[in-house]
Amino acid sequence: MKHTTEKITTYEPDNSLRKGYRFIFGEIFNELKKNRWLIFQLFKRDFFTIYKQSFIGVLWAVVIPIVSVGTFIVLNQSGVFAIGDIDVPYPIYAVLGMAFWQLFSTGLIASSNSLVSAGSMITKINFSKKSLVIASTGQAIVSFLIQIFLIVILFVYYGLKPNIAILLIPITMIPMMLLTLGLGFILSILNGIMRDIGKIIVVLMTFLMFLTPVLYAKPTTGILATVTKYNPLYYLVSVPRELVLKGTISEWKGFLIASIASFIIFIICLIVFHLTETRVAERI
Amino acid sequence: MDDGTAIKVENVSKKYCKSLKRSMLYGVKDIGRNTFGLSSHSDRLRNGEFWAVDDISFEVKKGETLGIIGPNGSGKTTLLKMLNGIFWPDKGKITMKGEVGALIEIGAGFHPLLTGRENIYINAAILGMNKKYVDEKFEDIIKFADIGDFIDTPVKFYSSGMFVRLGFAVAVHCEPDILLVDEVLAVGDTSFINKCYKRLHEIKSDKNAAILIVSHNLYILERFCDKGIFINHGKNTSYGEIHKVIGDYQVVIHQLMKNQESIAAPLLEESCTKDVKITNVKLLTQDGIEKKVFNFRDTLRIKIEYESKDIIHNPQFQILLWSYDGKLISAFGPHLDNLKISNIDKGQGVAECCIEKLPLLANRYYITVGMYDKTRTITLDYWAADTHPELSFGILPNLVSTTMGQMASICHFDSRWLIDGKQLDRT
Repeated sequence: MKHTTEKITTYEPDNSLRKGYRFIFGEIFNELKKNRWLIFQLFKRDFFTIYKQSFIGVLWAVVIPIVSVGTFIVLNQSGVFAIGDIDVPYPIYAVLGMAFWQLFSTGLIASSNSLVSAGSMITKINFSKKSLVIASTGQAIVSFLIQIFLIVILFVYYGLKPNIAILLIPITMIPMMLLTLGLGFILSILNGIMRDIGKIIVVLMTFLMFLTPVLYAKPTTGILATVTKYNPLYYLVSVPRELVLKGTISEWKGFLIASIASFIIFIICLIVFHLTETRVAERI
Repeated sequence: MDDGTAIKVENVSKKYCKSLKRSMLYGVKDIGRNTFGLSSHSDRLRNGEFWAVDDISFEVKKGETLGIIGPNGSGKTTLLKMLNGIFWPDKGKITMKGEVGALIEIGAGFHPLLTGRENIYINAAILGMNKKYVDEKFEDIIKFADIGDFIDTPVKFYSSGMFVRLGFAVAVHCEPDILLVDEVLAVGDTSFINKCYKRLHEIKSDKNAAILIVSHNLYILERFCDKGIFINHGKNTSYGEIHKVIGDYQVVIHQLMKNQESIAAPLLEESCTKDVKITNVKLLTQDGIEKKVFNFRDTLRIKIEYESKDIIHNPQFQILLWSYDGKLISAFGPHLDNLKISNIDKGQGVAECCIEKLPLLANRYYITVGMYDKTRTITLDYWAADTHPELSFGILPNLVSTTMGQMASICHFDSRWLIDGKQLDRT
């Protein structure tokens, strides 16, 4: 019953600075370890409530990909927009691309809003805010899992067989998830202070989706070809997709660089979040 | 910190910004500075900022309860939030020893679409409990909330009372070394509030926890706290033993009320017909000496001098006795004793109300005096204490109030004690 060593907490201005950077990783690690159950509970709360007062429930997760892909098929067939040369059935290519893309876009929109939508919880209770951001990206993972069913149906319809390399998919998804989470950390804080950020992200996501070859083939000429070459999001989407469709990775170099960049962004954002999270409660 | 101190607050200050746009700008600046490892120079005020909490220091030992009082907007909740680490002080240092539990907002994090049962787990997780602990306490929590079948209903269909019950039930089942309680017990019915305080008492005695309570309910603070701190405009105005602090608080609050009432009271006095004018009110002792301070069991004679424009049939007098914090203690008037004044003549007159064996204990009191027509619908004249300071008086401490100490009440009635039928004699 009695604590052998009682925890002593001190609060001072610029607390983390006083303690020094080397303690930050330990602090973050302990916080996340201690709050595993909280993360799960928050995730469960989001999961059970997001579709609760709706008729088709979780099926909403497949509506966006179907509508987007459908639009592109119509645009392509009427000659308004050229999808480009794709050597697999287009619906599979596009739905797969959307699934990986949405992991990023849904995750980032959810996480950047996580602190703001928690509202009074942030200002009235001291709890792990990292858990809140992490749990919010869970929604994106759930939609992804639901979209897998759509992909399986398409595979069966077109009589395709998935490659054994499909087992590597979870690993190739990690960089995308780290990037999402990292950016989510930073943007959630900034959104907490300036609501403009949340609006910008929604607009930016649509823009970035059209800029990245998610629903069309990789362009070979023009300015978009150059943009794609240096767009890390392209590699993070196309590599897992290629792995599912062909079982190979042709652009591993770009993927590797994008992965390292994602990892670095994740670490930097996590540290910044840790240093600045107490600033949010007073401004939100 | 080995002397049993649980909370140590040293010269803590917190600033706020009144403008939202500026607050955004400052927020971005501070975050920028923190990110690059620079100090945010939080000890300086920038344009538009003010100190919401200003240089507060206190200590709470284990097993001790500290009450925080102050008018609205005086910085009480801000202080509590800093103690909980929701945000950090801009100056000074806070040291907390042990696990901290906070009842700052009840039911924060409840999701309206989830049932009570589901919300218990989520709320408990947010409050820092682990799964094993919640599983153990689950039945206790449901029993404490006592909301019956509603436990399996989505929270959005709850009444506000049920919501608070469930929220509080979860919150009080964490067993912290330090418990911070904001003004959260204002909702809920009396029996539930009692239950909550019983529970707080258990936490205090079983775990030897340090408790901090913010409340406007002086009665509860007086009963429950050992020490108090009175914060006004973010500053420490009084700190120490709870009775002293409550006393200091009452003086300030009374001053505030006076300033407010002086606007309202003339209106009330203006509505008087002034057919009869009260010209003077005197508070006298048995011997007719005018006094401002009386003793317990003294006789208080209230002498009302008036001037009437005309003969008035069946006029009514009413004197109300109030405690310093504005509670009505007793009303006096012939009509209350079923007596009638036949009439008063034109010209000057005197009415006297004699209260014998005043059962009041040490404190400050005031009276209001009113004269009415026979139906008591028309006010002839009215004197309020804020425009007529002579209507307030004090009662000196006596044996009863000293013996009672902590439990000091307003009144003390005479009573006889019989033990096995034999009356106890005074020795």
